[in-house]
Amino acid sequence: MRRLPLLPVLCSAFVIPVALFANAATLSPSSPPQLVAPEGGWNFQRHILPILTKAGCNTGGCHGALAGKGGFRLSLSAYDPDADYMSITRDALGRRVETGDPLHSLLLTKPTSAAPHKGGRRLDPRSEDYRILAEWIAAGAAGPQKNDPKLERIEVLPNKLALQKGAKTRFQVRAHYAGGLVEDVTHWAKFTSTDETMLRISDPNGGVEVTGYGEGAVTAWFSSRIVLARIVSPFPEASHTPESASSPAKESHPGQGKEWQERNLIDKAVNAQLRQLHLVPSPETEDASFLRRARIDATGTLPSPEETRAFLADTNPKKREVLIERLLNSPEYNDYWTNRWADLLLISGAHLRPDATKAYSQWLHSEVEKNTPWDQLVKHVLTAKGGSLEQGETNFYAVHQEPEAMAENVSQAFMGLSINCAKCHNHPLEKWTNDQYYAFANLFAQVRAKGWGGDTRSGDGKRTLYTVPNGELIQPRTGRPQPAAPLDAPIVPSGDGVDRREALAEWLTAPSNPYFTRAVVNRVWAAFFGIGIVNAVDDLRASNPATNEGLLDSLTAFLVKEKYDLKALMRLIMQSATYGRSSEPTAGNKEDSRYFARYYPRRLMAEVLSDSISGVTGVPDLFSEIQLQDGSSEKTTFYPKGFRAIQLYDSAVKSYFLKTFGRNQREITCDCERSNQPSVVQALHLSNGTTLNDKLAAKEGAISELLAQQKPDSDIIEEAFLKCLSRGPKAQEKSAYETLLKAVAPEEKRAAIEDMFWALLTSREFLFQH
Amino acid sequence: MFDFLSEHGAGLCGASHLKRREFLQVGALSALGLSLPQYMAAKEAGAVRPGHDENACILLFNLGGPSHVDLWDMKPDAPAEVRGPFRPISTKAPDIQISEVLPLHAKIADQFSLVRSCHHDGAAVHDAGWQMLQTGRRFTGGVQTPHMGAVVSHLLGQKGDLPPFVVLPELMGRGGGNLPNGQAGGFLGKAHDPFALMADPSKPNFKVPDLLPPDMIGAVRMERRQRMREVVEGAVKQFEASEDARLMNENFHAAFQLMTSEKARNAFDLSKEPESVRDRYGRNRFGQSCLLARRLVEGGVRFVTVNTFLTVFGETTWDIHGSKPFTSIDGMKNVVCPLYDQAYSALIEDLQQRGLLKKTMVAALSEFGRTPKVNPAGGRDHWPQCFTVSFAGGGVKGGRVIGKSDPVGGFPAERPVLPGDLVATIFHSLGLDHESFLPGPSGRPFPLVDLGRAPIRELFT
Repeated sequence: MRRLPLLPVLCSAFVIPVALFANAATLSPSSPPQLVAPEGGWNFQRHILPILTKAGCNTGGCHGALAGKGGFRLSLSAYDPDADYMSITRDALGRRVETGDPLHSLLLTKPTSAAPHKGGRRLDPRSEDYRILAEWIAAGAAGPQKNDPKLERIEVLPNKLALQKGAKTRFQVRAHYAGGLVEDVTHWAKFTSTDETMLRISDPNGGVEVTGYGEGAVTAWFSSRIVLARIVSPFPEASHTPESASSPAKESHPGQGKEWQERNLIDKAVNAQLRQLHLVPSPETEDASFLRRARIDATGTLPSPEETRAFLADTNPKKREVLIERLLNSPEYNDYWTNRWADLLLISGAHLRPDATKAYSQWLHSEVEKNTPWDQLVKHVLTAKGGSLEQGETNFYAVHQEPEAMAENVSQAFMGLSINCAKCHNHPLEKWTNDQYYAFANLFAQVRAKGWGGDTRSGDGKRTLYTVPNGELIQPRTGRPQPAAPLDAPIVPSGDGVDRREALAEWLTAPSNPYFTRAVVNRVWAAFFGIGIVNAVDDLRASNPATNEGLLDSLTAFLVKEKYDLKALMRLIMQSATYGRSSEPTAGNKEDSRYFARYYPRRLMAEVLSDSISGVTGVPDLFSEIQLQDGSSEKTTFYPKGFRAIQLYDSAVKSYFLKTFGRNQREITCDCERSNQPSVVQALHLSNGTTLNDKLAAKEGAISELLAQQKPDSDIIEEAFLKCLSRGPKAQEKSAYETLLKAVAPEEKRAAIEDMFWALLTSREFLFQH
Repeated sequence: MFDFLSEHGAGLCGASHLKRREFLQVGALSALGLSLPQYMAAKEAGAVRPGHDENACILLFNLGGPSHVDLWDMKPDAPAEVRGPFRPISTKAPDIQISEVLPLHAKIADQFSLVRSCHHDGAAVHDAGWQMLQTGRRFTGGVQTPHMGAVVSHLLGQKGDLPPFVVLPELMGRGGGNLPNGQAGGFLGKAHDPFALMADPSKPNFKVPDLLPPDMIGAVRMERRQRMREVVEGAVKQFEASEDARLMNENFHAAFQLMTSEKARNAFDLSKEPESVRDRYGRNRFGQSCLLARRLVEGGVRFVTVNTFLTVFGETTWDIHGSKPFTSIDGMKNVVCPLYDQAYSALIEDLQQRGLLKKTMVAALSEFGRTPKVNPAGGRDHWPQCFTVSFAGGGVKGGRVIGKSDPVGGFPAERPVLPGDLVATIFHSLGLDHESFLPGPSGRPFPLVDLGRAPIRELFT
């Protein structure tokens, strides 16, 4: 047999001096130095399992599968070291490790393909990892010990740096153990890029290449921990290009001009990042544009022509602030934000009976109207009790009647975290373990309601929600109840009269919860800007960083300070210079799509678009049917004529228009259920469909009224522009329309005016927020 | 149909307006992905093999994940908890045995070949498999890879008046994993997203929604509307840098093109089919979608995806977990199999009789297979470790089995095949070189499939 390679003389400890890595950007991308065993030899948890993890042995597709593979089972990403040690050293008649003949251990012959291995070759016999495994076996293959130091944290160095596109760098990952042990674990860390459009992992030992512009991050994983390093790659300086010489940004000194003004903490954080990235903000948008934008984002409605005229004529220098205040306190605000939050709370007649749906929606409406602080509102939902028609919020639990689903939805809706994966195994992308999942779900195990079970839509929807003193959720892995506990929190005491949800609500809404405030701040931001600071808004896991951490941090602190008053947050957003920027790109920011150097256009959401068309034409929609899940429909009399789409209690109300324009179906807690993406089908519907054409041709409506006034063409054109686009026509638009209208015979006049409205209502300026 | 060259409304000052022909060119070049220089460049670079311009692909996507052990890869000698309730039957192809619940497949087994050794290493959730089986990759690092049809749209562009890439009857719905489902243009851009019908072609008097203007909008008004729209759409600076806004404009052009093309409208008109043909496909959503797919391919569509179902929730589908809200094994036998068996066999026979099968690949893929063991609810759960797919037409020789699973259908035993290989196989049939490159994020060249993935060449020889 072959002999083991000779061991080098061991050095005392495996600690790398910090100074060596103070400036990692200058490190050469060479292969790492040979690894030597620390005092006490190679350690099962610290070294052996990380080797198997890095080689992919314990992934879900291989031996980490619930059933293992080929008779060999490992815990997913090594979450259960004791079981792994048993499996490696005791199962398969102990042939996996042969301490007397290490190189014949299956642990070495299989992954090197020396023995047949369905997973192919995962390990090079000339590699460090091979040598380490062999040395560990030869030394007796010691298992996890009671006094093994516990991993406290990992860090990556450097954790923030600026690099040009094309640059390469190398990161180091260090593990800090209890008792002060620090090890360089770069070699076993797994590196991923959070944004492959700008960062590429160029070598698995921590080498990264910058391939684009922006701010991105590299995540390093080690032993179920994750840590991020951020890289800023500035955009090419636009001010050096001749194209921008004429742009307004160039006229002032870069970084000093009016477009850089800072009205509040938002502008500070945004501008700081823009400067780092060499992006130049767009100038402030015009009054008419601001009015329309603010009205749509705060209330989901368009300004009327009178309102636009008055706003333009207003000489008060604080008129934008006055407007913001008026909008935030309007009844339309309540309707619009009830609808937005109803997406999160899944208010849908596809799952609830009509009366329950209505009660749930009306409860939410009254909370929005009172501007109940967000933490209080969430507490009301979480600890809801009583009748489904009297206490509308209890229906949150009627939509999901199992503790697991309740837990998953609470986590998703209020923390932006998906914990679903941890139901079967430790979360592969997060730190949540399988035990934590069941502990969290067990918080809901004592929730009951009279009338639950079976189809959620059966009967009249009258339910009474209560909690019982007993009832435990079994953790299937152990067959025993998992003591109830919030994520990362101590066990909740149980006993008579204890509603575990109270403790959950306290923990969830505490300012110290790192997810709760961030999640709602990010959702509100995304509602105003079209994209979140973290994208997607339902994905706040640690490995998905914010595009501007500083911005998110200061907004989070602000909302805590304001005691979760969402209107205060919205006011701050709307008053910022960032929100008030023009949507026209400049030479200095045309490449930007997520750092808020300008306002990004987006298609109006389905309900707002539908209501806007009804508003302009003066012809309301009629909502008379509910679409059930089995494809059938039933009548509803909830919605009298004039009821707007945004006011509907329910996402199951039948409407081809709303469906085509991507309204949220509210089946799962996910903003991705709403789509504001344009499609050919939408263009066909606007061109040929009944929604718009019937409204334009309606005998009673805005067009008839306009014609009845017998005004000259120029006035009609003016009015049409104000109604549809919230601005007056430009000179060439006016003359073009005058010419077209003049050319038609009197009996064709009505049709021509309808056509003009059609043109305005299908223009992108109407269809988009901008 | 419309007189766009009339002098009506002449003298429009300052506004640019397009005559129909110009308009169609704009629509064709930008809206639906036809980019002639791109196509020529792709040809010159060797990305497209000559002689394949008439080729097309119909992808039947079996949402839910059919049970390979109960359908295409039966294990009659395995223990009862593995072999399940159904028996294998012999088919027209000596090498293929298939489940008794697919009797019409048995009659045309000489036309299709099975690949019994497919597997993937993604999560066992529907959406992950949808991504991988339609794009060949799992989405990572924020990069959404394009659907095969979007790649075809990008490389080959539009042929005639119909869009290059169509999804019937609707886009896939949610899969439970909150992940994007791989049915879009991804990094190639939304201009290569599919045209999705969003209607049920089996409904009486089925029409493409809103394909024709209402009667009151004649040629004169149609033209006036376009001119008036051009006035306000002229140059709107804030939309130049917005992909969604550019797309909306292109969508209007594409819609106009569909409305004004006799050929396009004809391709979508199922009423032109004899009743007997419509009956043969099955009077249901999937059956009529398959028939429509054939008409669209005849009309020049290059890639049609037919989703067997729209979602896996609240519908009777291939997702046979055994209990509600999913499907039972009886539900599969009594509802799903009969309609699938009928439509699939009709499509293959019809394509063959019309001489289209040679140039049209019919690929039946799914996100995964199902657990070898029957679960306590009498169903089977998700199993990406091993599953079966089928290919017919487009150069594929039928009647054969490629690859082999282990004795219980748990893992591939011979010739393991990954999603990238299946995607490469479809590209190969369409004449695309799987080793050529797409313009990836930040201009990085992105191979059509990952390094190491390759067409299953045995299928074609």
